[in-house]
Amino acid sequence: MLKKIVLALVVVAMTASFAFAQKTIVIAHDATWPPMEFVDQNKNIVGYSVDYCDAIAKELGLTVEHKSVAWDGIFAGLVGRKYDMISSSVSITPERQKKFDFSDPYFEVTQAVILPIDASGASLTDLKGKTLGGQLGTTGVFVAKRAEGVNTKEYDEIGFAIEALYTGRIDGVICDDAIAADYVLRNPKYAGKFKLAFIVKSDKPEYYGFVVKKGNKELLDLLNKGIAAVKAKGIEAELRKKWIGQ
Amino acid sequence: MSVEKKEVRIAVTDGMLIPSGKDKSIITAWSISLIFAISSIIYLCVKNPDPYLDILKFLPDGILVTFEVTVSAILLTIPIGLATGMGRLSENKIINLIASTYVEIIRGIPLLVQLFFIYYAIGEFVQLPDLTAAIIAMSVCYGAYMGEVFRAGIDAVDCGQTEAARSLGFNKTETMFMVILPQAWRTILPPVGNEFIALLKDSSLVSILAVSELLRRGREYASVTFNYFECYLMVALIYLIITLLLSKGVSIMENKLNYYDD
Repeated sequence: MLKKIVLALVVVAMTASFAFAQKTIVIAHDATWPPMEFVDQNKNIVGYSVDYCDAIAKELGLTVEHKSVAWDGIFAGLVGRKYDMISSSVSITPERQKKFDFSDPYFEVTQAVILPIDASGASLTDLKGKTLGGQLGTTGVFVAKRAEGVNTKEYDEIGFAIEALYTGRIDGVICDDAIAADYVLRNPKYAGKFKLAFIVKSDKPEYYGFVVKKGNKELLDLLNKGIAAVKAKGIEAELRKKWIGQ
Repeated sequence: MSVEKKEVRIAVTDGMLIPSGKDKSIITAWSISLIFAISSIIYLCVKNPDPYLDILKFLPDGILVTFEVTVSAILLTIPIGLATGMGRLSENKIINLIASTYVEIIRGIPLLVQLFFIYYAIGEFVQLPDLTAAIIAMSVCYGAYMGEVFRAGIDAVDCGQTEAARSLGFNKTETMFMVILPQAWRTILPPVGNEFIALLKDSSLVSILAVSELLRRGREYASVTFNYFECYLMVALIYLIITLLLSKGVSIMENKLNYYDD
C-alpha cells in the first residue's frame, strides 16, 4: 500500500514539474551589476534587465523565475540546463556566439574606465604600466588585456574591483559604462572619490543580448518577439528613465 | 611452535594507510595515482592539443604562485604552530590564555571568510599586497591547527623524559628543545604532513583575491573560451600531481626519522 502511495506521489510530482517546466522560464542573473541587475535592500533581484524580462513575460503571458547565479560558471550552468536563459548584461561577441545563441540586442554599451578623482588619463595608452581591475571573463577585461602595457587584475565580482580601487590596490577599473556611471554617481560610499575618466573608443558597437542554449530556437523566437513588443510600446524608454536616467 | 611476529608499522599519509619500512613494492596506491595523473595529461595533450595543450601552456605561472603561497605559508606556520603548541602547554596563565584564545577564534572562522577579512575588511585601513595578504591569512589559519598538532605531539612524550632531563641539570628551554621536541617530531610529522597537504589544497581559495594562482589561471582561461570541462580537468590533475609529490616528500621524511626503528 505504502509503495503504491509513494509511486502515485512520484508520478504526480513528475507530471506537475513537467507541466511547470513548460510554462516557467528560469532566468539566471549575476546580480552584482548595478543598475542592470543587482540585489536591493529587501534582498530582491532588481534592475533594468530584470524589469525588461518581466515586461517581455507580461507581453507574451509567460511566467518567469529569477535566479541569482555567480558570473563565473553562469555559462556552464546554461549548458548544464540549470536554467533556460541568462539575462546578465552579456555582451554579444563572436566568441560567445560560437557556443551560445543570443536574442536581439536590448541595450547598447561601451567600455568605461573609472579612475580616482585626482588621477589623470584620457585613454588606455595613458595607463601604460598601470593596473586595471575588472570582472573575470567580461568584455571590459578583454579590452584591457588587448591594450598594450596595461596590467589586468580579474576579480570575481565588479564590486571587488571597485573596492580594490577604493583602497588603492589598483589604479583603475574597466567595465560597462552604465555600471561605471552607477558606481561613480549613485553610490554614496564612492561619490566624490572616483570619476568616469573616459570611454574606450571602439569601432564596433557593443550590445547586450539574452543568452539561450545553442539551438533553443523556440525560446529565442519568443524572446525576440517580446523585445520587439517592449520596444514598440515604449516600455523600454520608461525603463531607461527609471534605471539609467537618460 | 613459535609464531614469528612480523611488525608492520603504519604511517598515516592523508587518509591512506601505507605500510612503511621494508615494503619496496612498486605498485602502491600512490604510484598508481601519480601514473594515472601524468599519463592522463600526456594522453589528453597528444590526442587533443587544442584545447588541452593550450590550457597547459597557460597554467605554469599559476602553478608557481600556488607553490609560492604554499611554501611561504608552510614556513610561517611551523614557528606559529610551535609557539602556539608550547603556549597551550605553558604553566604561565597569561601565555596559555593568549594561545588558547587564538586557537579558539581562528578555528571558528572559515578560511575563506578570513581571507575576505584580511583582504577587504582590514584593507580599508592597511593595504597589504595580494600575495602577502593571502600568505598571512593562510599562515594564521593553519598556525592554529598546527598548534594543536604540536601540543598533542609534545604531550605524547613520556613525562619521565622531562623529569630525567631536569634531574640531569637541563633547564626548561634546553629540556624542551634538546630532549622533548626531537622525540615529539616523530609523532608530529604524519599529522603535520596532512596539514601541509590540506594547506596546499586550500591555497586554491586564494583565487578569490584575484591572485593568479593555479585555479585562477584556469578560471581566466575558461572564462574566455568556455572550455570548462577541459580546463578544470587539467587543473584538477595538476593539483593531484603536486599533492602526491608533497605527500611523498612527507613520507620520505617520516622514514628518515624512523630509521632507528627498523
